[in-house]
This record gives sequence, C-alpha cells and structure tokens, in this order.
Amino acid sequence: MASVSLIDIEKRYGAQVVIPKLNLEIADGSFVVLVGPSGCGKTTTLNMIAGLEPITAGQLRIGERDVTDLPPKSRDIAMVFQSYALFPHMNVFDNIAFGMRIRRLSRSEIESQVRGVAERLRIDALLDRKPKALSGGQRQRVALARAMVRRPGVFLMDEPLSNLDAKLRIEARSFLTKMHLEVGTTTVYVTHDQSEAMTMGDTIVLMKDGVIQQAAPPLEVYNEPANMFVAGFIGSPAMNFIELSKAGARLIDPAHGLEFEVSERLRTALEDFRNPKVILGLRPDALRPAPRNAEPKGAPRFTIDVVQHLGHETLLDASRGPHRLVARVSAGDDSKIGEVRAFLADLDKMHLFDPDSGVNLSSRYAQSAIRPDPLGSAV
Amino acid sequence: MSSVAIPARRSTIRRLRYAAPRVFATLLAFVLAAIWLGPLALMVITSIKPNKEFLNGPFALPIAPNFDAYQKVWEGLNFGVLMQNSLLYATTGSALAVLLALVPAFALSRFEIPGKKYVFALLLTGLILPQQTVLIPLYATLRFLHLLDTRIGLIIVHGVYGMPAQILILRGFMTTIPREIEKAAQIEGATDFQIFTKIILPLSIPGIVVGYTLNFIAIWKEFVFALVFLNSESILPVTVGMLKLNSDRYITAFNLPSAGLVISQIPIVILFILTYRGISSGNFVGSVKG
Repeated sequence: MASVSLIDIEKRYGAQVVIPKLNLEIADGSFVVLVGPSGCGKTTTLNMIAGLEPITAGQLRIGERDVTDLPPKSRDIAMVFQSYALFPHMNVFDNIAFGMRIRRLSRSEIESQVRGVAERLRIDALLDRKPKALSGGQRQRVALARAMVRRPGVFLMDEPLSNLDAKLRIEARSFLTKMHLEVGTTTVYVTHDQSEAMTMGDTIVLMKDGVIQQAAPPLEVYNEPANMFVAGFIGSPAMNFIELSKAGARLIDPAHGLEFEVSERLRTALEDFRNPKVILGLRPDALRPAPRNAEPKGAPRFTIDVVQHLGHETLLDASRGPHRLVARVSAGDDSKIGEVRAFLADLDKMHLFDPDSGVNLSSRYAQSAIRPDPLGSAV
Repeated sequence: MSSVAIPARRSTIRRLRYAAPRVFATLLAFVLAAIWLGPLALMVITSIKPNKEFLNGPFALPIAPNFDAYQKVWEGLNFGVLMQNSLLYATTGSALAVLLALVPAFALSRFEIPGKKYVFALLLTGLILPQQTVLIPLYATLRFLHLLDTRIGLIIVHGVYGMPAQILILRGFMTTIPREIEKAAQIEGATDFQIFTKIILPLSIPGIVVGYTLNFIAIWKEFVFALVFLNSESILPVTVGMLKLNSDRYITAFNLPSAGLVISQIPIVILFILTYRGISSGNFVGSVKG
C-alpha cells in the first residue's frame, strides 16, 4: 500500500506540451478516478505513473520513494489494461503466474498464490483454459487476478470496463468496489464514463487538455463544480446553462421575458462580479414546472418541445428563444408538447458561472488563487 | 409466401443466371489445373516409360510402367548424396535466414527508427535483385574467406540472401502482436530479452513457419549459387548434380532426368501438404506496411 504523489509533472512530445504542470496527491488506500473526454491526458498520466511513458519534467513519488526514473517493474505497481492484455499463448494459470515466474519464486509458492487469487475471483475452474476460450468478464477477472497476485502498492486501471457490455459493466463495477474495500490497495482508475467515476471513486480528478479541472470527492464535484466544464461533464442529463444579464439580485433576459431570482447565498458573489452577463447553471433535477393553477407571477416560462417518459421519471426538453433546458420531473407529470409552462427553480441548487472563464462564481474557486483554467493552455 | 404461380420458364432462366458464373469459374479452374499439372503429369509418365517408347509417343500412357530410370539415376548420379546435400542446404540455410531476421524484424515492427523508410527500401532491393547481380561480389568474398567449395560457404550465402524476405515476412507478423501485451509483460517485470523470448517469439511461430517453409522451397530449387560456389561432387545439391544428364551421353535419355525430377520433388510435395493449410488460410500473409 502506498501513496502516489505527482509533483510538477510535465509531459511533452517534442515541442508539443500535452500536460503542463500537474500536481496531484493520491492518498494511501484511496480509489482515485481520472476522468475526462478523449485526449484529456488521463491515460498519459496513468502511463507516466506506470513508467510506460517517460516523464518529461517533474517528480513522481510512490510511497516515500522517488520513482521518476525507475522502470515499471521497480515501482511496485500492477496494471489492468482496457484490452486486458492477456498472453494469448498461455493458459490462465500461466498468465497469472507470469510475474512470479520472472521473479523466480518457488513452485509451491506460485501454486498457492495463484490458486488463492483465482478462488477469490471465482476463476479457479478456468485455470487450464486459454484466453480465447474465455468470455469478456472472465478475461477481465484474469487480468485482475494477474495484477492482484503481486500484492502491489498501487493498482493502475486503464478503462478496464470499457470492453464489457452494459449489464456486465454494472456488475463489474460493484465487484471492483467490493474488492477495493476488502483489499484496500491504492487504486488509480482511468475512465471516460462519468457515471463510473461518480460511483466508484473516493476522489474524482476531472481533466481537460492535460489540466486538472477539479479534484474532489464525487458529491463535491457534483454539488460544487469548479467550472462549467466540470458542471457539464458530471451528471446526466447534463446541467442546463442559461446566459442571462445581471439586474440587481435577479438574472434576466428581457428579450424573451425570462427572470430568475438569485438565492441569498449567491447575492454577494453576484454583486462582486463585474461582467454584466452571467451564466446560470441548473441541473435538470433542480427544475420543475409550476402547478398549472399556482404559477407564480414572473416565473420564467418555457415551451415544452419533447417529453421522454422513462417509467420512473420523465424528462422534459423545453426552450424559449435561444435558451434550452432539460428538466427531470416525476413520472406523473402531464406536460404536453407545445404547451407553455412556468418553471420553478430550486434556489439552493443554483450555480453562477463567469461567461468568459467558466469559473463557478459561487464556489471557493472563484476566490482562491489556484484557478483551474477551463480553457486549457498548451503553454 | 406469394400465392402467384411463377411460370416455370422464368425460374429456370433465373437458376441458369445464378449458376452460370459458377460453372464458368469451375471450367476455368479445370483449365488452369490442366495447365499447371500437365507438365508434372508428363514428367511422371515419362519417368516410368522406357526411352524408346517416349520417342515414339511423348504423351502416350506407358504400356508397361517400369522404374528402371529411377534405379539408373539413383545409382548413376549418387542421388542419395545429392538429396542429402539439398536437404542440408535447405534446412540450415532457411534456419539461418530466419534466425538472422528475427531481431531486425522485431525492431522494425516496434521502434521508430530514423530512416526507417530507407531501411525498407534497402530490404526490398534485396528481394528484387537477381542472384546474378551479387554473384561476383559473393564469389570474391567467399574466396577471401576460404569458403569456396564448402558446405558452410553455401549455407551462409543462402542464409544471408534469404534474410531480407524473412525480415519482411516476420515484421508483418509481429505488427499483429498487440503492444499492450508487451507493456503488461514489462510491468510484470520482464526484461526486454525475456519479453522477446517468452512473448514475441512464441506468438511469431506461425510467421516463422511460413517464412521458413517458403525459404526452404526456394533453396531447394536454387541452382545458380550452388553451381558457381561449389565444385566437389560430394557436396552438390540435386539441382546441380542433375547437370550431368546434360552431357552428350545422356542428353537423349528423357526418362532419366524425369525420374530425377520426380525424386527431387517428393520432399517439397510432402512439406507442402504439411503446411499448405496454414499458409493459404490467408491471415498469415504478412503484409508490408509502410
């Protein structure tokens, strides 16, 4: 078990800077998820921790050791790849035993360790089979067994669930989480799936263009996104963004007759904000249509475009001029397409964003000196 | 299903239309087979006919097949030794070519080498150049090394001459091995050498078999190098050994070279039967990717 520290890590391919200065502390025993769109640098970062990619500048520590220049085998890590990377010409037993045989452990030792892990992962009946005779889920467990049997200080996982079908993925998710609870090894997990990140990690590290946008526990990332990118990436359906103008303690779009009241806690931030325009962020579950017979005067009105019944809930797509929103409402809602309804916004779940930088005005990020640059920079 | 009765004529025409291409293809296949197998059949027939009979009617089937020609050729040319030599050159020359090609093929399949394009151009040149163009330099080199008229000398020549083709074939194969497997082996603690021996080589075996077989056949048929670099009768391969039949004494005896040829083809036919399924399944043909 070990902590991982990335200190001023930089990655350059020739003149192209892929990851400008990156700093991240991964606590011992934690499950950290690196998440972001394709090309954000999460896999590159993972490969640098693994030693498969050289680190251009900066320092990497695993535990108390500086491993920046050490080869992968000296870093006390194990890795599970997206394609599992099982050795096709060896059977399951030999695949799992590979590392131990390289290190010349005794036959009895290898035998007992391999069988132990195989039993735990319920693949002990498959030890004689070759990878091509296994299903996707079984292959994944073999890859996991191969990593676990070494008892490394850190597990590195590169989108291990991407190759599984949806149902298997959900099973595998809880399986991995349970494993982590039992074994407790520090895990760095890369995925592009935001729901995987939310459900599996202690800490989510959201990246874009090589820059960390936010590193925090899932609920904090959900409820207090640092900027528009984070707010829009985490949560499904995505957060609604409505560009409005400041008018005292209200946000308005007079051209389309929209008016939103801003909650108490945001008024100071709104006042301090110089820009006349602000982006209002509201998650779909923070909006609902007002009861038809009790529409408050001045409540913003939107035309319903699409009604999607999911069974347990309903999604309403609505618009007003250039503004669009999605609201998540109860299954019993009876809005009709084309109908104009007044919407109520949950004031406690409101966010305000700077239209230029995307920073969340209402969070501490607006005040702190460490301002994540949501536009990314290649400098 | 439709309840309208389709007139019988129309369905027959349709069936003919579908069958026509297939019939044509089959006919074509038979014609090609005849063209390919014809000379071989003629060779076998000629070898079991007494010579006079052949002169009377080259394409006629033998009245009473006999194997005199085989015995004459075997004893007269010391065929056993010829076959042994050919076997030696083909097996070891091919093995040497494959061995020399393994590491370069791996390097070309994995690493970004500056000037890679030029390396490929060089290799392809090695393939295209006919043997005649390198005869004189090779002769000079062998003489300098005192390897003229030696088995080792010819084996080395075959090994080196066959290396470019092997590099290209093996490289094509090795590019199909997923890189992640090597990364996984790296993380498990394998050294580069261990990755090569425990992962890359076992997975390259199909490619090695293909390359080796093709090279074997090429060396077995080979004539020019053996002719120029060897002199002593005891080390000649079949191809050169049979030249004796070109002398005035034997030149009209058609059954003798035919018998010799049939004998010399047997190992190749056996090898081909053993390996053709693997080669023709298509996924072994290593394509040269730039």
